[in-house]
Amino acid sequence: MDAWLGGVAAGILGAVSKVEAVQYGDRKVYSVSAFNRGVGDWLSRLPSVWVEGEVTELRRQQRWASVFFTLKDPADGSCLRVSMPRSQFDALRLDLGDGERVHVYGRPELFEARGDFRFRALSIERFGLGDHLAALERLKRKLAAEGLFERRRPLPRFPRRIGLVTGNDAAAKRDVLTALTTRFPPARVVVAETYVQGPRAAPAIVEAIGALCEIDDVDVIVLARGGGSFEDLLPFSDERLVRAVAGCRVPIVSAVGHEQDTPLTDLAADVRASTPSVAARLVVPDADELRERLEQTRERLRRAPLLTVERKRARLDGAFGRLRALSPSSTLERGYAIVRRDGRIVRGSAEVEPGARVDVELGEGGFGATVNETR
Amino acid sequence: MTFEEAQRELERIVQQLETGQADLDEAITLWERGEELYRLCADKLDSAQGKVEELARRVEALKPAEPLT
Repeated sequence: MDAWLGGVAAGILGAVSKVEAVQYGDRKVYSVSAFNRGVGDWLSRLPSVWVEGEVTELRRQQRWASVFFTLKDPADGSCLRVSMPRSQFDALRLDLGDGERVHVYGRPELFEARGDFRFRALSIERFGLGDHLAALERLKRKLAAEGLFERRRPLPRFPRRIGLVTGNDAAAKRDVLTALTTRFPPARVVVAETYVQGPRAAPAIVEAIGALCEIDDVDVIVLARGGGSFEDLLPFSDERLVRAVAGCRVPIVSAVGHEQDTPLTDLAADVRASTPSVAARLVVPDADELRERLEQTRERLRRAPLLTVERKRARLDGAFGRLRALSPSSTLERGYAIVRRDGRIVRGSAEVEPGARVDVELGEGGFGATVNETR
Repeated sequence: MTFEEAQRELERIVQQLETGQADLDEAITLWERGEELYRLCADKLDSAQGKVEELARRVEALKPAEPLT
C-alpha cells in the first residue's frame, strides 16, 4: 500500500509536470484545474477492481446522467462514493435497496470540476447471504480436495505451554483461561490478542498463530472466539487462515462460535471444541484426577514389596509341600507303618522269627513289639 | 524430568513389583526409586504455578489488507 501511495505521488508530479505551472521565483505553482487534471489523469490509470460493500444513499433521478450511491463497509463504516451512468445502471435491473450487499467492479475517478474522488462503477452484482454461502461452499470443496481437512493429530497430554488466540473482548478469553486453570492450575498459557472480526481479522489471526508457533515450548494452540453472526465469523472461513491452521506446526483446537456454526477453520483444525470447557478438557489433564491416580499408584507401590515377600513365601511353602509329599511321613499318615529290627527296615517275614523284638513307626508315634508268628 | 516421565516410570516400577519377578534386594531398590518418583510427581502437581503471559501485540503492526492489484 505504501509503495502504491508513493507511486501515486510520483505519478502526480509526472502528470502535473505536463501541465503548465506558473513559476514564482523558485516556487512552482499549479492552478486548481491543472492540479485536478493531474490527479484525475493519474487516478484514471489505476486498474479496475471489485469492491464489496453495502449500498446506502442511493440517488437516481431522471434528469441526472448518472446514478450515485455510497458503498459502506459493514465492518467499520468506511465509505466510498460510487457513480454509474444511469442507462447502464438501469440496464442491470438490480432494483437495489438500502443496505444490500453488492460487489462493484470499477475504477477510481476524480470529478475534476469539484475535486471529488469517487468510484466509477462498470458493473454491479448483488452479493447476498446466499452468494456468500455458495462462495464458502466452493472454497470448502476446493480445500477439501487439497486434503486440508484431514489432519487429526493427537494432542499432547501435558502441554508445556498453551497458545491462546483470542479477541480482546474479554468473554471468550476469560472463559477459556478460567476453564484451563480450573481444570489444571499449573497450566501455562501465552495469550495472543488479535482482531477476530472484520477484514483485518484473518491476516491478524494468521500472524498471531505464526507468532505463537515461534515460541518453542508452545505445544498446542487454542483458537477461541465467542458466537456471532454469520458475518462476524466469516474471517474464520478465510482461505488464508484456513491454510495457516492446516499448516500449523502444533495441533490446533478450534473453539469458534457455537455448536451450530461450522467455519472452515473448524474443519482444518485438529480438534474442534464446542465450548471453552470442552477446549480445556482437550488441552490439559484434570489435576484432581492426576492426584488421585498418583495416590492410588503410591498405595500399590507400598503394598508391592510385601506382595513380593508373600509371593516368595508361597513359593517356599509350595516347595516344602512337594518335599513332604515325597517323604515317607505322608505315606505313614495314610495308615501304613514301618517295621524295623535293629534299625533295619523289615521288608519280608523271613527277616524275623517268633519272639523277635521289632520297632513299629506310625504316622503318629510308634511302639515296640514282639513277633508272635510268621506267615 | 517431566511429570509425565516420572509418572510413567513410577507406574512401570509398580507393575514390575506386582509381578513379583524381582528378587528381594532388587525389589527394595525399585521401591525406593518409586517413592522418590512419587514425591517428584506430587511436588510438581502442588508447587507448579500456573502462568498467563500476554504476547506482545504485534498485530497492531499489521499492514492493512493487501495491495490492490
